[in-house]
Amino acid sequence: MVSLARKNLFHDRVRFVVALLGIQFAVVLMTLQIGFFLKFMTNASVLIDHIEADIWITAKNLKNFDFGLPFSEQKLYEARRVPGVLWAERFLMGFSYWKMPDGGQETIQVIGFNPETRIGAPWDIVEGNLDDVKYFTQIFIDEADRERLGFPRVGDEVEIIGQRARIAGITRGAKSFVGSPFVFTSFKNALKLSFIPPGQTVYILVKVAPGFSIEEVKEHLARTLTGVDVYTKREFSWKSRRYWLLVTGAGIALLSTALLGLLVGTVIVGQTIYASTMEHLKEFGTLKAIGASNADLYRIIIAQALIMATVGYATGMLLARAFLNVARRAGLEAYLPLEVLAGIFGLTLLMCIGASILSIYKVTKLDPALVFRS
Amino acid sequence: MSAPWLVLDRVSKVYGDGTSAVVAVREVSLELQGGRFVLLMGPSGSGKTTLLMLMGCLLKPTQGRLFLFEREISALDERTLPPLRRRYIGFVFQTFNLFPALTAVENVELALNLKGINGREARRRALTLLARVGLSERLHFLPRDLSGGEKQRVALARALAGDPPIILADEPTGMLDSRTGRQIVELLADLAHTEGRLVFMVTHDPRVRDLADDVLFMEDGSIVARESTGDLREVVSGKEGR
Ligand SMILES: Nc1ncnc2c1ncn2[C@@H]1O[C@H](COP(=O)(O)OP(=O)(O)OP(=O)(O)O)[C@@H](O)[C@H]1O
Ligand SMILES: [Mg+2]
Repeated sequence: MVSLARKNLFHDRVRFVVALLGIQFAVVLMTLQIGFFLKFMTNASVLIDHIEADIWITAKNLKNFDFGLPFSEQKLYEARRVPGVLWAERFLMGFSYWKMPDGGQETIQVIGFNPETRIGAPWDIVEGNLDDVKYFTQIFIDEADRERLGFPRVGDEVEIIGQRARIAGITRGAKSFVGSPFVFTSFKNALKLSFIPPGQTVYILVKVAPGFSIEEVKEHLARTLTGVDVYTKREFSWKSRRYWLLVTGAGIALLSTALLGLLVGTVIVGQTIYASTMEHLKEFGTLKAIGASNADLYRIIIAQALIMATVGYATGMLLARAFLNVARRAGLEAYLPLEVLAGIFGLTLLMCIGASILSIYKVTKLDPALVFRS
Repeated sequence: MSAPWLVLDRVSKVYGDGTSAVVAVREVSLELQGGRFVLLMGPSGSGKTTLLMLMGCLLKPTQGRLFLFEREISALDERTLPPLRRRYIGFVFQTFNLFPALTAVENVELALNLKGINGREARRRALTLLARVGLSERLHFLPRDLSGGEKQRVALARALAGDPPIILADEPTGMLDSRTGRQIVELLADLAHTEGRLVFMVTHDPRVRDLADDVLFMEDGSIVARESTGDLREVVSGKEGR
């Protein structure tokens, strides 16, 4: 089939370029907004994403990682008996208070892991030896939180809810989304430095044995263990991010900027497609006279929209990448998984098709006499 | 005498309603046969284009009945008409109405595509049709680089795509000089006389009457006179005239 849609687009080059600019604007705006935002949101699940557990067992109806609640350690032994569980470990997260040098208090999140297996341990150590947390009462803090905590140095002694603790080392990249510094130590120490009662854990981390599917083991655990929820790593990660996305209103801010891009893009593309349709109205009339049905005409208009969307998306993404490179050099990272890129393409398609609707309406109402006028 | 291809039975077309109503076509009755070259003449605004649109299934009559190959088309809706147009009707316009973004051959190919002929076969047939109307070069030029006569030849080839039995032409020579115009009319006449099509042409040019079989005169929406200049030829070829 001779592609009238494509040829018409390339025939009106100026108009095509204007439409492309509109689409590119929308694509770049959406991509940067969503990318920066998702990167920001990964902070809400930074620990979940870095810990090598496949499955997280949590108290019932938990809202997100930061709101972890204690439950009986007994579940650990039940979990270990479920087929397909390679290992299961206790993992603690509890809010606590750090006594500042000036006498004030800073809210912290105490993280307790098993130092023997190091499951749940900080993954990027700048200074210190992780083995030290086995002893009473050594902790690791993140370099990004040192200022918040009054610039303590390795070897300094600090006070957490009346308990003495010594700083054994510094981590990197373990920054809490809620802003309270993470303090890493052994599970046993963590019980003392937080308000979690003995005999309880906040999370159980599970690794699935080779040959078993994560989904299958998760289902089995959920059936076997009562009074807890079982998530895959991915599910729990998204749950934690989604919570902050909705609660902080940051999601709304993201949506409105992305929507703005979409709206501006739709208007520009709509105008160009509409202007192009009006200019080609006689051609559409001619097509009808030589036997095209309305459906044929819609197909041409939609094909135009799809071509614009595809070219606009591809070039828009190249532009967005250039912007992202500049941003990265300035220390601003974006997170854009494949499904998000696909989603943006979907939105671009929708935008272009939406922009064609007025044109489709015009063509439906076309006066056949048009083709006979000079 | 075989059944007429196109029959109009007291067909009227009224534009608008109430005080602003315009009766563009008034109770026109016609029976048109294949193999004939019919001219429609008349002053501006007399309803010629409207009549052509009615015959080409582009417009529904306000009153009266239309038959295309014995099938009543006056009652059909916009969903059933496109296939009929594709199969039976080829249009030629005063302003050529070529697709400006397509080359000469692509213009013809597109019409073939609409009629279900695709790919190489479409290209082959497009070239044959262009040769049929006397265009064998400048096939890959855009319409803006073609002369008026060349454009109308391309349009004619496009109208012939899918081999429709009926060609409807509205002042196809209106934008051409008289010599080029006459060549186009000769082509149209030939489509009727050697290929047996029904060619119905609106024109203001009385000098081409000699090529026609019938000439109809329209005034104020009605056919007010008709003459059959082609009777002599028909007697010679053994056909019966109206
Ligand atoms: N869409 C329309 N709405 C209202 N009136 C119309 C419409 N189309 C045509 N008319 C009127 O119908 C009458 C016949 O018009 P038509 O175009 O058929 O005439 P014509 O013989 O082809 O004229 P011309 O030689 O100028 O092309 C005219 O009075 C015209 O103004
Ligand atoms: Mg007219």
